[in-house]
Amino acid sequence: MLAKRFLRSVVFATCGIAIFVAAACGVDVDAIRGPKIEELYLVIIRDPDAQLLALEKGQIDLLSDITRPVDIERLASNEELSLSLAQGFHAFFLGFNIRKAPWDRVELRRAIWQAIPRNQLVRDIFSGYSAPLSTFLPPASPYCAEDLEAPPYDLGSARRTLQEAGWRYSNGFLVPPGEDLPLKPMKILSPTAQVAPTTAELAQRITASLRELGLPMDVEPVDFSTLIARLDEHAFDSYVLAWQLSRDPDSLYAFFHSSMDVKGGYNICGIHDDELDAALEALRWAPDEEDARLAARRAQKLLSEKVPMVPIYSRYFVTALRKEWKGAVTTRIATADNVWSLLAMEPEGKMRPFYWCLPEEPRNLNPFTASSAYDWQVLGLIYDTLLTADPETLEDLPWLARDWKVETVSSGDGQVTRLSFILRDDVLWQDGEPFTAKDVAATISFLKEHRVPRFWDAVSDVEAVTVKGNHEITITMKNTSYWHLHQIGGLPILPAWQLASLESWQIWQPIRMIHPQKRNLTMLVGTGPFVFSEYRQGEYVRLVRNDLFWLMSR
Amino acid sequence: MALKAYWGRRIASSLLVLAVVLVLNFFLFRILPGDPVSAIIDPRFSPQAKEELAALFGLDRPMGEQFLLYVKQMLTFNFGVSFLSQRPVWDEIRSRLPNTLILLSSAMAISALLGIYLGVIAAAKRGGFIERLVLWAGAISFSFPSFFIQLVMLLLFAFAMPIFPLRGSVSIPPPPPGWPAMIDYIWHMVLPVSSLVILGFGSWALYVRNLMVKVLGEDFVFLARAKGLPQRLILWRHAFRSILPPIVTIIFLSLPGVVSGAVITETVFSLHGVGRFLLESVTGQDYPAAGAAFFLLALLTVACNLLADLAYGFVDPRIGLERKMER
Repeated sequence: MLAKRFLRSVVFATCGIAIFVAAACGVDVDAIRGPKIEELYLVIIRDPDAQLLALEKGQIDLLSDITRPVDIERLASNEELSLSLAQGFHAFFLGFNIRKAPWDRVELRRAIWQAIPRNQLVRDIFSGYSAPLSTFLPPASPYCAEDLEAPPYDLGSARRTLQEAGWRYSNGFLVPPGEDLPLKPMKILSPTAQVAPTTAELAQRITASLRELGLPMDVEPVDFSTLIARLDEHAFDSYVLAWQLSRDPDSLYAFFHSSMDVKGGYNICGIHDDELDAALEALRWAPDEEDARLAARRAQKLLSEKVPMVPIYSRYFVTALRKEWKGAVTTRIATADNVWSLLAMEPEGKMRPFYWCLPEEPRNLNPFTASSAYDWQVLGLIYDTLLTADPETLEDLPWLARDWKVETVSSGDGQVTRLSFILRDDVLWQDGEPFTAKDVAATISFLKEHRVPRFWDAVSDVEAVTVKGNHEITITMKNTSYWHLHQIGGLPILPAWQLASLESWQIWQPIRMIHPQKRNLTMLVGTGPFVFSEYRQGEYVRLVRNDLFWLMSR
Repeated sequence: MALKAYWGRRIASSLLVLAVVLVLNFFLFRILPGDPVSAIIDPRFSPQAKEELAALFGLDRPMGEQFLLYVKQMLTFNFGVSFLSQRPVWDEIRSRLPNTLILLSSAMAISALLGIYLGVIAAAKRGGFIERLVLWAGAISFSFPSFFIQLVMLLLFAFAMPIFPLRGSVSIPPPPPGWPAMIDYIWHMVLPVSSLVILGFGSWALYVRNLMVKVLGEDFVFLARAKGLPQRLILWRHAFRSILPPIVTIIFLSLPGVVSGAVITETVFSLHGVGRFLLESVTGQDYPAAGAAFFLLALLTVACNLLADLAYGFVDPRIGLERKMER
């Protein structure tokens, strides 16, 4: 029975991906005009069971990030719903504290990589709705070196590797080379089963695998805050943790460069390796995409040799949409809950509001301090960025900027990156004012001058901003890096007039302030496809179509 | 004079409790592992950006300065700005209070009235249907987790038989203001309130039944019966009145709970309430929000204790008499 269910799940998952690949071939984002949806409600429903009931009852149209296999199977059998499944940027790792023995021995880390049955774990725990991870970047990342070989599960070979390196066994436990006593008991830090049931289960299964290899391991379930504090203080042997990464390989530098082994840094494992540092610096300061790609590959190759962490799995993202909504854009890496879908979708028959489930309260709708994904699920529909990413290839696409250039130019003693953007000339703010290069310059200057934490990494290296006419802007950076393009290109752009008079950005509540000229608008004014209309705390956020949006047929 | 001294001592000890809570509130959250900045686990957020965030939250200031600011904020009821929402904490609490107060006070009032009535009747008619109902209800409310009962109710009455809404406290789109909005609100609150009543009345009934069974065997009840007083009068005027002090205590001590919210109920029914705010403030290490919420709860608990003491005198004249005799 279980085997049958598993096979069904795997077939479904595989078919899902196949459908996406087919769908992806037909996506022509250039042809999309919209939004067609006139009224968009983001409905707050926190309980996962209540979310499913609301979807099945037709009270919401779109439910994102469905994680439980049993729910996916139930929704897949509902004829009124279509499910989309995509590789995301999720990655789950087993990490070690390389600062201390025995984790400082690379042969042990390599043997552990071989001794964990990743395929089996994914099948047993996720019924196939996840992929075993063999790389240090999620497979959806364009920089993931998927061709680099990961050692297949082979416990015997793992044991032999250790024995060849001088390890021996005593009463079933490993004895390090040159020592007389077996390893002392050690712990894997894990979140508690209450907070993260699958992570806790994975930690148990990984511990069992390590014990089979001869490591005296046990799980130490701790509260999440404690887990993070212990990692920060380096008070751990090993740990398991899931990450939500991005399309860029910036996580490699953050996780593995020696300069990041500081308080608040993410080099949790504490690896200090000159060769790896050099590769990561080449990646971080790569002047162009070609160099970036080569450096990312080199860094991943070194990581697969040095194994500071063991990649375990990457979760698929599953989204359910009511079939009466047509035109959703889905690809291998994007489920239906993306901005392209919101532009293209329309209902069969008469137009009606679209209801999208928000699993948490968007508590902060101030673009300077908003931090949660739920805040940005709302703000991302109101504010636009200079560039966007292709939903199929993740390549840069024009958005507010219709063209751009990345150059490395001489400046003083060295070379720096210069970004030039040509902006669209048909963009209007939601209050009807034209969007110009002055708005972009004002946004960058404001974020830098006020050291806004969320955007500090993007703007701290900006040396100068030069506006040429209404629709051309050049940004000169202090150093050379291709990634400046994505960081600057990903900033939400605010109107210059608003920034000029804004004093307390920290406690700014734009949704509670009426626009000085347009009484039907708040101060949450962007150029995006939807206009903020109403936020009823704990209930919903209502957005309406921006009829001035530049992708609307005018 | 002794009564004045008694109240003087009670008020002084209450203020001392509040002062201790005030101090502990500040240090406990800071002693706990982690802090609001290190809780961010995003590789795109560099250590430098984290320093800027710490400065934004005022966490880069010396601890003594932070403590003085905190004490000033608590004593002036200007609780500062929440780390998570960057909105004034008082606004955050105020926006959640109506739902929580209506949900929990109505659930508590209905459960208490129903439970007390059933408890008294069960004690009066031992072995009967009401007593069996009370024992069963008590067992159910203690045995089943609240989310289970609430999800079953949601499944039955909002999904299988869609009589009530699945979520929230307002329909989407919302009805026009006035009566339609009020009726819509009541319609949304029926399921959450009734689930809490189902979970709550049993324990009240069991408690009152046990008290009443004991009291009904006492001499003054025999005397009342011997005098030929009607059963109704014996039950409510004599026996029930004598168990009022512990009931009043429980009611007053439950009042802070009416404000602190019901996390699970708010989650299952997607209600905007204080319970989740408290939970998120603690788990998100939102010091200003958690500090303010716990300070207000402590204040309310101390006030309710004092009120309970006051109420004793009204419900049981013997207590006032004992104090006079102490003199």
